[in-house]
Order: sequence, then C-alpha cells, then structure tokens
Amino acid sequence: MFVAIEDVCFSYTDAKTRALDNFTLKIEKGEVISILGRSGSGKSTVLRLLAGLEKPEKGRLVIQDEVLFDDKTFLQPEKRGIGMVFQDYALFPHLTVAENILFGLFRMKKAAKKKRLQEVLELVELQDFGKRYPHQLSGGQQQRVAIARAVAPNPHLILLDEPFSNLDAELQGKIREELRDILKKANITSIFVTHDEKDAHILADRIVKLKDGRIEFVGRPCDMLDTYRQTGIQPLTDGFVEKSLTGVN
Amino acid sequence: MQHRFTNINAWTVSAVIIIFLLFLPNLTIVTGLFTPSNENWEHMKEFVLWGFMKNSLILTAASAFFTILIGLSLAWLIAQYDFPMRHFLKWALILPLSIPPFIGAYTYHGMLSYTGVIQTTLRENFGMAINPAYFDIMNLPGAVFIYTMFLFPYVYSIAQVYLSRQSASLIESTRILGKGPWKTFFQVVLPISRISIIAGASLVVLEVLNDYGVVKYYGVQTFTTAIFQSWFGLGDIESAIKLAASLMGFVILILMIEKILRGRRQYSYSSTKVRPLPLIPLSGWKAAAATGYGFVILSLAFVIPVAQLIDWTVLTYGTIPMGEFMNYVKNSVFVAGLSATLIIVFALIVGNFARMVRGRLGKLLPRLTVLGYSIPGAVIAVAVVTAFIGLDRFLTPFYVWAGFSTTLVLSVSIVLLVTAYIIRFFAIGYNSIETGYDKIGTDFRDASRTLGLGVTKTFFKVDMPMMKGAIISGFILVFIDVLKEIPLTLILRPFNFDTLSTKAFQYASDEKIMEASQASLLIIGISALAIVFFYKFLERELD
Amino acid sequence: MKKYLFLVIALTALILAACGGQAKEEKTESETATETNESKEVNLYTARHYDVDDELYAKFEEETGIKVNVIKGEADELLERIKREGDATEADLFLTADAGRLYRAKADDLLQPVSSDLLDEQVPANFQDTDQMWYGLTKRARVILYDKETVQPDELSTYEALTEEKWNGRVLIRSSENVYNQSLLASFIEIDGEEQAKEWAAGMVNNFARDPEGGDRDQAKAIAAGIGDVAIMNTYYFGQMLNSEDPEEVKVAEGLGIFFPNQDTTGTHVNVSGAGVVKASKNKDNAIKLLEFLSAPEAQETFASANYEYPVNENVEPSELLQSWGEFKEQDIPLSTLGEHNAKSILIFNEVGWK
Repeated sequence: MFVAIEDVCFSYTDAKTRALDNFTLKIEKGEVISILGRSGSGKSTVLRLLAGLEKPEKGRLVIQDEVLFDDKTFLQPEKRGIGMVFQDYALFPHLTVAENILFGLFRMKKAAKKKRLQEVLELVELQDFGKRYPHQLSGGQQQRVAIARAVAPNPHLILLDEPFSNLDAELQGKIREELRDILKKANITSIFVTHDEKDAHILADRIVKLKDGRIEFVGRPCDMLDTYRQTGIQPLTDGFVEKSLTGVN
Repeated sequence: MQHRFTNINAWTVSAVIIIFLLFLPNLTIVTGLFTPSNENWEHMKEFVLWGFMKNSLILTAASAFFTILIGLSLAWLIAQYDFPMRHFLKWALILPLSIPPFIGAYTYHGMLSYTGVIQTTLRENFGMAINPAYFDIMNLPGAVFIYTMFLFPYVYSIAQVYLSRQSASLIESTRILGKGPWKTFFQVVLPISRISIIAGASLVVLEVLNDYGVVKYYGVQTFTTAIFQSWFGLGDIESAIKLAASLMGFVILILMIEKILRGRRQYSYSSTKVRPLPLIPLSGWKAAAATGYGFVILSLAFVIPVAQLIDWTVLTYGTIPMGEFMNYVKNSVFVAGLSATLIIVFALIVGNFARMVRGRLGKLLPRLTVLGYSIPGAVIAVAVVTAFIGLDRFLTPFYVWAGFSTTLVLSVSIVLLVTAYIIRFFAIGYNSIETGYDKIGTDFRDASRTLGLGVTKTFFKVDMPMMKGAIISGFILVFIDVLKEIPLTLILRPFNFDTLSTKAFQYASDEKIMEASQASLLIIGISALAIVFFYKFLERELD
Repeated sequence: MKKYLFLVIALTALILAACGGQAKEEKTESETATETNESKEVNLYTARHYDVDDELYAKFEEETGIKVNVIKGEADELLERIKREGDATEADLFLTADAGRLYRAKADDLLQPVSSDLLDEQVPANFQDTDQMWYGLTKRARVILYDKETVQPDELSTYEALTEEKWNGRVLIRSSENVYNQSLLASFIEIDGEEQAKEWAAGMVNNFARDPEGGDRDQAKAIAAGIGDVAIMNTYYFGQMLNSEDPEEVKVAEGLGIFFPNQDTTGTHVNVSGAGVVKASKNKDNAIKLLEFLSAPEAQETFASANYEYPVNENVEPSELLQSWGEFKEQDIPLSTLGEHNAKSILIFNEVGWK
C-alpha cells in the first residue's frame, strides 16, 4: 500500500462536531483519487491533514512506509515530500513564474535546478512564461504554474484543492483534460478535492464521497452510478445520473 | 492545548519573552486595581470623577466620529475619483500626522488669541471688533478640533489603502446595480471599510485617551487629569494607579470590541487576483469641490499651522541659542530610529507567533502588549523606572564583578528610554504588522511549507517580502510618534540628553510658543520627509 | 534555519548592549572620580529650563572645573524618579520652581540638610527651609493685573475683595490644576484657616469671567479682549509679555496695570524657585558649591533677570523693570506651609468646582 490513512479524527478548535470522523483510506501508487463532497463535509481537511498543515487528534498516516503521524510522530509539512495546489493557487506575488517553481528546489544543484525548471515548464506548456509575474497571467495559466510548482520537487503525493473552482466553464473542460494528461504523464499519486460530480467522474480512478466528516461511498466512478440507483445516496448535482445515462457529458 | 507544531520553539520562546517584558511594567498598574480605596479616592469619586469621565467620553467619541468622517470621506474621494491635484493630495493628506497635537494646540491658540494674527488683522486692517469669544478655541469642542485635525490621517491612510486595493468589484457592482455615489458610500463603502475604520479610529481613541498636553492647556478636565491630580496634587499614587488601571480596563474593552467586530473571518486576499479600481474622472464644479475639500482640510491641518510656525521662527530668529540644534536632531533621529526598528522586529516575532498558535489564550496573549498605548506616558515612566531599578539591583553582583562602582547602570542609560518607547508604541507597530499578516493570510505560508521550507525560512523568503509595505508603514508611524513623544522623553532621558521634542516642550511649557517654533518645525520637517519617503516607496512597489 | 531568528535576537541584544555600554563609559568616569573623592561632576535634576541656566552651568564649570550634568523635566515626575531610584540615585541637586514641591521632596525624605555660612549669608532665613533642607534662589509674587481703561487702581485692595459682588463676571484666573493657584490657596489656608479659604475659592468661582483656560499669559490677553477686567498672574509673566518678540503681546501688556494686593493686611503671595541637596547624593560638596554659586551676587543677577524674577540675595538689586513696580509687603508665612496645605487646597478646589 502506497498511502495509508487509518482511523483519523480531527476537529477545529472552536467547533462542536468533528470535521473528520474515523477516516480510513488506502491508495495505490499512481492512483488518482477524488474526494467529493459539499462544502463543510470535511473534504479539504483531509488534504490539510495529509500535508501536515493540521494535526489529527488520533489515527495514523503513512506514505511509502514512512510514518507521517501517529501517537509518537508528527512530521512537519516541509519534511513530508507532499506537493499541494491551493484553491487560489497561492503563487508568491513577489516572485516570477520561474522563481515560484524554483522555490521548492533549493536542495538541488544549480544545473539540476535549471533542467527541472525546463522540464516542468514544458510539462505544463508554459516555456515562454518563466520571466512573467503571476498577476500577468490568466487564470488557467496561473493554475498550471501552481501545478508545475507542486510537481517540481518530485513529491510522493500531490494534493489539489478544488482545482477548477476559479475557472470559467469553458476553460474548466479544457484544463480538466490537461490536468489528467499532466498527472498521468508525471505518474504521481494524487488526491484532488471537488464538489463537482463530473470532475470526479472524468478525472478520478477512484472516488471517495464524504458527508459530515464520514465516508459515504468509496469506489470506481462506474460503480458509483450503480450506487446512486440502488441506494438512497443522492448525487451532489441534480439529474447527474440521468445525464450520464443519456451520454450528455 | 495541544501542540500542533513542534518546531516553533524558537519563535514561541522569543515571542513569549517579548510579551512578558512588554507586559511586566503594566503589571504594577493592574495590581493597583485591587488595592482598597482611601479617602482621596472617595473624594475624587464624590466631586470630580464623573465629570472627568463624561468629558473623556465626549472627547473620544467626538474625535473618533470626526476623524472617521473626514478620514473616510477623503479616502473614498482619493480611491475612487480623479480630480485635479489628486495625486498630490493623496500623500500630502498624511502630513498632518507630523505635527505633535500639543504643538498644534498651542499654535492654533496662538493664532486665534486676542494678540494672534486673525484677530489682530481684523482689528487693525478692517477695524472690526468681533466678540473675541467667537475665537475661543480653548474648550472641549476646540480640543476635539485639534485631535481631529492632527489625528485624522490615521483613519485616512489605512482606509485609503484598503479602499483602493480591495474593493473594486464590490463598488463596481453597486454602481451597476444603479446606486448613486452617496448610496454607494453609505451602503457599501462604509460597511466594507469597517475593519480599516476601526483600526484607524482605535488608534485615534487611544491617542486621545492618554494625551495630556492638549487638554491641560485647553482647560478640559479628563480622566488623565484625575490621574495626575491624585498622583501629583494629592501625592496619592495608589489612587492614581487605580485610575490608570480603570482606564486600562476601558481600553481592554475597546480592544475586545474591535476584535469582535473584526470577527472570525479571515480578511485576506491573494494578491494575484486583486484588480485596482479604475478612477472615475470628475469635471466641472464636482472636480473643483473635491480638490477644494482636500485643500481646505490640508490647510487647516498642516499648511496654516506650519505657516504660523515659520512666521514665529522668523520673528524669534537669533533670540534663542541654535548651536546645539544639530545635536538635538541627531538624538531625536537616533532614538526614534532605534525604537522603531526594535518595535518592528518584536512585532514581526509576536505577530508570527500569534498566527501560529491556536486557542484563545494564544490569541489573547499578543493583545496584552498593546496596553502600553492606553496609559498616560508619565504612568508608564514610573512603571518602567521601577522595573529597571529592580533589574539593576538584580544585576548588581554582575556590575561589581565587571568593575562598575555604581549600581544604577541600565536605569540611567538610554536603554531605559528606548524600553519605555517600545512599551508605549508597540501597539502602533504591531497594528501595522498584524494587518500585514492578516492580509497575506496563511495560504502562502502553507504553500511554502509544502514546498519544503521551515517556519523560519518561510518567514524570511515569503512573509517578509510580501509584507514590505506593512513593515515600512509600521516603521514610519512609530518613528514619527517617537519623534513627537513628550512625557517619557522628558522624564526618562539620560543626563544632558535633549531631543527636538523636549526642546519644543521646554519653551511651550513656559508659555513661550514662539520660541518653541524652531524645534517644532524641525520635528515636522523630519516627519514629513519620512512620510514622503514612505509614499514614494509605496508607489514604486505598486507599479 | 533557526539561525536567522537567533541572528535577529543577537543583533537586538547587541544594539541594546551598545547603548548601555555608551552610558556605562560615561558613568564609569564619574564614578572613579567619586572614589578618589575629587569628583568633577554634579548631577542636577531641574524643573527650571531657561536657556540662560545652561550658560550659568557652563560658567560654573569654567570657574570650578565641575561639570554640571542636567536632566530637565517636570517637577513631579522628577521627584517620583528620585524616589524610585532610592539610595542608588544619580541625582545630587533637585531644583524646582515652587516651594510646595520643595516641601514635598523634604516630606518624602529625599533631601538632606546642608550648612554653609556662605549660603546663610546669601539666602535670607525666610527663604530657607527651617531645617536647611532647601534654599530659595529666586522669588516672584502672584499679583492682580487690571485693565487700565476700565479699572482704577484704588478700586483694588485685596485678593479677598475680588469675591465681592462688584467683580461678578470680571475675574480671570487659570485652572486649579496649576500649582501656582494651589500654592496661593494653601497660603490662605495657613493665614485664614480652611473655612475662610474655601469661602474665598467659592467666591472667586462665582465671579469668574469665564471657565478657567490657558496659562497666565492668556488671562492677560483675555483682559485686552474684553472678556474680564482683572486677572491674577505671576509677576514674571507680565515681565515676559512686556518684553515679548511679538509686538501685539507688548501692546496688550502695556494696556495693563500691576497691583500688589493685601498691602495693608496680610501681604502679597510670594513663592520661590529653589533647590535642595538630594539625600543619597554622591557629590554633596559639589552640589553645595553649585547652590552657593547660584545664590552669589554674580549669578543671581542673571538667574533672576532671565525670567523677570526677584533675586533672593538682598545684596542684588532687581532689574529695572521690577524696581519700577515698587517695593511691596510679602505674606509672612513659612514657605513650607505652601506644601503642607497643597493636598487640602486641591480638595477645596474640587469641592467648590474651580476647574
């Protein structure tokens, strides 16, 4: 098992209920997982816990046999080797695109850095944009920089928080395809969070559906449609099942 | 409280030490609250306290109201409209901050008094004998006028930056929805700038509460009057401390209200998305009115008093010794620069600590450090002297070992004065830094950490560069405030140490306002230079 | 990584140490001198801050080789600082412009008695503390100024007379926060007793032309502006106005007459600037030398005339201006009583509503 999340519980300081309740998930290498849920379902919390930005109350987190968290251990975010793409990208406004990408490569030799920068810029197809500042880019370009920055240090795992929420509908479709290609090309295990059934079904190898901090469903996208038909679980998007059946996508 | 981050030790330790050191002298005052009341206290309560409190309340409320009215309206005009001289007014309107309110008070009274330029001109050139009572500024409304004129830039500068950077889409959408400019102002601008208004106005309120120079000269009796009356007049330091403690309680209340109003929401933005507001050009009488309004305020709050001071300087030139003035300038700039640097460094450490810790205690702790801003300078002075003498006693064995034959080393050095400045003005620097941290939020920090940089490295590579504006504005504000400061400088300075403000005060307190004009002008000049520098820097940053 | 932070802290410590160090050096010098009992310094805490004072200190150094180190401040704060510094204080001499404060310094056990034949010769007994804890250096009177046009000097007689019906709405005086008024009322408490003093204060409040505001000079200006007809002021403020750089102020002063009240009764209220040697002084001899220097005829002339005050040394003539106002009868009370009744006077002011 590549990534193991076992019995993880978490609640925010002032909250009365748990944001995440006994969450367990195992992920294979190279898998693309989508965590689907409404806002407040605890889906972003999973990412923050994995990244080390929050500390679980209990449970265990392991990546490739390295314990990130258990009773005795808490590995700081900078030590985990996990990349993250933030919802609003969090590109450093005072640094150029190239500087943003190089930011996480401080351990590499100069030549290696340069090579890696070229690689990832090519990966996201922004070869000519290295000297620009983030505010000089379009939304889609900013997102690709954010992905490039997260991918550059070769993380074990990459986390994407609502990667399409800031893009307009037309761009969403295009970027979705691009992202899928990039992730598969780089062969990085990834988890992305979304509230859009369609995003999850197109991108993910497996979907985890969260409700009120608990897992409602785990499985392949195709199994999910069956579940919707057979159980009382409702999709987040109205009429989603019907549309899928008629092939309108 | 659980420890969510384990490697914050260096930050936590330094932050807690700083908070403790800043709070320590205030502790003497807090304990005063619990001493039993004596005869003097009962007397004060019976005869004067309520009247004094009423005056204080009216004074602070009215000053806050008018500074908000003027500060916000100017900020809105500058942020949204284009009119002649807008560019100049944009930074010139911060200049009134360079005039110490007590100098402003003396100057205005000087101009308006029977022998002042206004009444004299009317009398001699126009033969008009207008009832001098109309020109009487030495009363409560007069004090409100002085505070409004010389403190409104606190509200203006914060609101202006906020409005021009944050709210483009909000204001535009209101316009699209068909609201006129007035409705936009009251229904949108006012509510959304709440945070910046509160930030600016709370500085005004605290400044008014602890000021003594203006109210003493204008004969307005306030809470501070009561503190000094019981301390110096009645020789009853317990009652004085009790009063100071009550004042502090009131200030804590204000700070809490501010925090509550600010709410739990994170008012951060990721600056990649912020779009500047396109200016609406004004023309005709509207443009004239906007420019006129800006200039009327600028004249009242800066040009007129400065012109009067220049006139007095010319009048008294050569009658006072000027030889030492370079020295005063050097001393002033040195203590102001040093204190401002230390305050900003400390504020960065405490601010970074504040956003790392979770839990109520952790959030409350840093707020304690701003208490110094609420207490009259003279009270802080005594608290600091007491603390330092204790420290010197503690260090005596070391002094003996090191071969000093005196036991008061720190207490008579400039460390004492600089420490007092830090306690007094930490709030100003911390306010700027905290706003800076709030504005950048936590996403950039988190991003940097997932890219492999620790807290400290992140601080230097991400937080600091992104907060350059907040750091510089905090520095300049503290610098100017130290330059203007009077009671602490007067009491706590080492031997033979004069600054521009002690010199200005020396003459003013002997009712020689004309002789005080040279030193005052130098204070204003240096502060104004600092403001201009700050402004030019900000401009370059924004381009 | 943490080394950045430590760098910052170390730097801070360094700066603080550097400042401390600066002061240390100076102090070490003075201290080694004390040890060998040939101190060449005297440390002065003074609430008097005229430019001419500095010239006198420079002259003192020139004559004696003793350097005068000065902290100028407000009297009350300086006193509090000496009190807090206790035995370790660096202060040798405390100089202030009000007998009430000198009394308080003595009452708080901050001063020590000094005996010097020269001082006794130069400072008359009634301007010394009874226990020789402090010595007066200059004196001034608190007098009545009147509008030459609307008031004839023969209408004026005493401070008490100002509470009569006749003066209703015509009297100007500053706020009771000011120590000059506190000392004035304290003198009445000493002479007439508390009851009568309170009656006087209440009568004054009743006759105020306006709520007290501004300083002494502003009372004079208010006469010129027609707000009131008589004002209570210190003599030196009148002197300052007559010699002002501002021709308008001179004009105002020239329209006023000066009147020394209570000449036929208890005498005009006088107060002094004076100084005492601090109890924990480490340069006592030098402090006495400075006191002797300031009360000697040469210094007295400058020291007093700088601020249009009367010298205490009887061998020195007051300035021409002061001579032109004539001689007058002073209150005959020990000056320390001004301090003794200070707190009482504040309570009375509060009770009668004198702002």
